[in-house]
Amino acid sequence: MTSESAATADAMNSVGEACTDMKREYDQCFNRWFAEKFLKGDCSGDPCTDLFKRYQQCVQKAIKEKEIPIEGLEFMGHGKEKPESSS
Amino acid sequence: MRVWSSEHVFGHPWDTVIKAAMRKYPNPMNPSVVGVDVLERSVDSRGRLHSHRLLSTEWGLPGLVRAILGTSRTLTYIREHSIVDPVGKKMELCSTNITLTNWVSVSERLVYTPHPEDPGRTVLTQEAVITVKGISLGSYLESLMANTISSNAKKVLIAWGGWLPPADHTHMWPPP
Repeated sequence: MTSESAATADAMNSVGEACTDMKREYDQCFNRWFAEKFLKGDCSGDPCTDLFKRYQQCVQKAIKEKEIPIEGLEFMGHGKEKPESSS
Repeated sequence: MRVWSSEHVFGHPWDTVIKAAMRKYPNPMNPSVVGVDVLERSVDSRGRLHSHRLLSTEWGLPGLVRAILGTSRTLTYIREHSIVDPVGKKMELCSTNITLTNWVSVSERLVYTPHPEDPGRTVLTQEAVITVKGISLGSYLESLMANTISSNAKKVLIAWGGWLPPADHTHMWPPP
């Protein structure tokens, strides 16, 4: 049993080294919203939108620089009422 | 092609398990995750949360396997899509590798639902499909990878015990 298997996603690094701090700040905001609002049926007022935008811009840049083959995402960031794709 | 599947029951209600699942890397296929990023996140018209994540992993394949595959690269990338339905109490994750695709395809699906007979427990079903392409030792490698996945899954599920409180229904446990 390794300690890595119990590591938290929010304590991990970003694919872009420069994005890790932004990622962790966003993750903390999201985890709080997810546990205290979303799972309790409260979808109002997502407080993490700005944090996510900054973090996402950084990650998008890192993905392009590392030529990681991501397809089919429009990097829309947080959003509501996104058109539902077939699943 | 090799298919691996498993079912596990957690001694905790669905909400508790999902909160822990979102905070840790929930993929028992590969505990050697070195990076996690959220690419996109949104709530759909049915109130379900969609997340697209990029996972950077060290596969931890044995050196012999890497030699056969002919690659010295050990860092691979996986793309994951998860859907959390807080009303229907279902979390589903699907992931697939997006590198090394000329050699191997590993797709997996995890579903967390409340236990049908006990809302204090949660069922996780996992399945993985592994296909090694274009080499004569394909079947052997698929078997090796399936065994690695199964063994890793057991280790991660044991490690989960450290994330969830003892399943003692006589004690109240505050949420994290």
